[in-house]
Amino acid sequence: MYAIPILLLSRLHHYALDARRKNRTTRYFLWSAVAALSATIVLTVAALFVYVLCYAGLWFLALAVIAVLAVPLAGPLAIRHVLVPRGAFRLAYYLGWASRPGRDPTAYGLVVAAWAVAVRPSGRGEAWVASQRDRRIPLGDAEVIATALLAAARGDAMTARSLARSSLLLVENHPSVRELAGEWLAVDAAERGAWSELADDASAARWPASPLTFFLEGVAARRVGAPNAPSERELWARWLVAPKRAATRELRDTATPPPAPAPRVRDADDEAADDGVDAEATGAVALDERAPLPRAIAAHLAFGTGVRTEETLRATVRAWDAALTDGATHAWLARRAIELEAPLGAVDRALREVSAVVSDELGRLADAEELGAPASHGPVGDSLGRRLRHGRLDALEAGFTRWAARRHDAEIRSAIDEWREFIALRDAYTAAVTAGGLELRRLAFPHAYATGTAMAAWLWNARDEYALAHAIFRWLLDEALVVGDSEAIELGTRNCRLAVPTRSD
Amino acid sequence: MSAFGSALDENPFYVLGLSPDASRIELEREAQKLLGMLELGFAGATTYATPLGPRTRTPELVRAAVAALRDPYRRLVAELWARHAPPATLESTPTAAPAEATQPGLRRRLGWSP
Repeated sequence: MYAIPILLLSRLHHYALDARRKNRTTRYFLWSAVAALSATIVLTVAALFVYVLCYAGLWFLALAVIAVLAVPLAGPLAIRHVLVPRGAFRLAYYLGWASRPGRDPTAYGLVVAAWAVAVRPSGRGEAWVASQRDRRIPLGDAEVIATALLAAARGDAMTARSLARSSLLLVENHPSVRELAGEWLAVDAAERGAWSELADDASAARWPASPLTFFLEGVAARRVGAPNAPSERELWARWLVAPKRAATRELRDTATPPPAPAPRVRDADDEAADDGVDAEATGAVALDERAPLPRAIAAHLAFGTGVRTEETLRATVRAWDAALTDGATHAWLARRAIELEAPLGAVDRALREVSAVVSDELGRLADAEELGAPASHGPVGDSLGRRLRHGRLDALEAGFTRWAARRHDAEIRSAIDEWREFIALRDAYTAAVTAGGLELRRLAFPHAYATGTAMAAWLWNARDEYALAHAIFRWLLDEALVVGDSEAIELGTRNCRLAVPTRSD
Repeated sequence: MSAFGSALDENPFYVLGLSPDASRIELEREAQKLLGMLELGFAGATTYATPLGPRTRTPELVRAAVAALRDPYRRLVAELWARHAPPATLESTPTAAPAEATQPGLRRRLGWSP
């Protein structure tokens, strides 16, 4: 019963912050006013109750009531500032359990225990947290986030990032747990300098914001020049409320908006663009006076040794296609073939050989960077497109087939392993279809749909992993809507309508 | 090494240190000279310039280069690369440095990692 006002206050606080992050000022003030009013009422009633108990001589009961009311407020502070820095995972677990009233206090306890292990990694701590996690069936957001923090404890930040973000797919939602995941992601993004990523999370209000997250989001918004970026004074206010102020002072002082872009002087590239010529202004691939073949080789070398992006790949492929279809290149080859007394067909063979060598090298580099097939039609563009599409499609199908085969294995894997497999496949699918476009997406979807649906149904029916299965159904439905598969849309809609039993408040 | 890397790194003209205009006799003479120098251990003969930076020259590479240039088709392909590539250099090609964290150690300072 006493949980209701605490949960209400927590929710109101989050609503106010989310409205602020989404730049809805009126709602922000409204939610803040409601939260303040509710807090005043709750505290007044509590104080009155304590006063009445003292007045009646029941001071021991009054002390007990004060203790019960203080734990949800003081517990998280003690966890953050005392237990987590000392790696006291067991105490953090039990205090977390005690300080989060509601239907599922264990979820918060599990995640703060994993946080303590992340700060003071130990094999014993990891095994203990993993055993607590595996006891909880079915899988939910707390289990996934705890696993993410255990991965962070091992120094595997990439896995931790991927797993923490994957919890957004799960229908089970513990706000106190997600708040911690959001804070870990915000700190991680700030360390990497991924300010755009953080500003994007903030504007979409993907995670409930803790005071530290709220401050870092303000820094990110100012750094990227977001329209709802806080003023300097507001950033100061956020900084004052956030913990670890000594460590974040520098971030506060350096969070200056980016300079406005200076007006550009028209140059040769602009004039070339006006004439309909593709100005390949990407590093060393700048438009120059060289013949097509030297330009292509220079672009290729710049791509191999410099920054590899979709743009530099496209510029390189276009340069090669232009060079290998250029009349001057053919004429030079034909003349030299005659002078060297090369065998008949040497010119075509040489062009094919160069095209194959270049496509292989660019394909290897594009695969390593997960770059998409560039839209360039020519000997290199076509060959590279085929190679990237077919290679990725084969790899995807093999991955989904292996996943589906798990149903028939005698060994039952833990739910978190099934989730990690699904997330890995989903990431591979997303990377492949982003690179390969809608054409590859339509080719890849049927196999992903068939295996994904079978796996999700098995997880739901045989393993009681409702949230996990629902996340797969949801993802498949989203993909079906993109590719326009009416049968998959119908089945996916029916599956997603199934009521999912969760432990959320 | 990839085929593209070989086309430039082990291009016979770079291995022999000659221009693509070199005649057959010049190629044979240079190959003999280089083989002699390598056998005597001359330090200047052990590296050669490519557009990707300096590479190590070995007697096997020199023999393979001169054999390739005796074949008209393989010489045509080698010329195609050597004649149109950027100038060979003995300086190493700089590669893109990995992006550094802008706030190294921030996770630790904010209480999220050891």
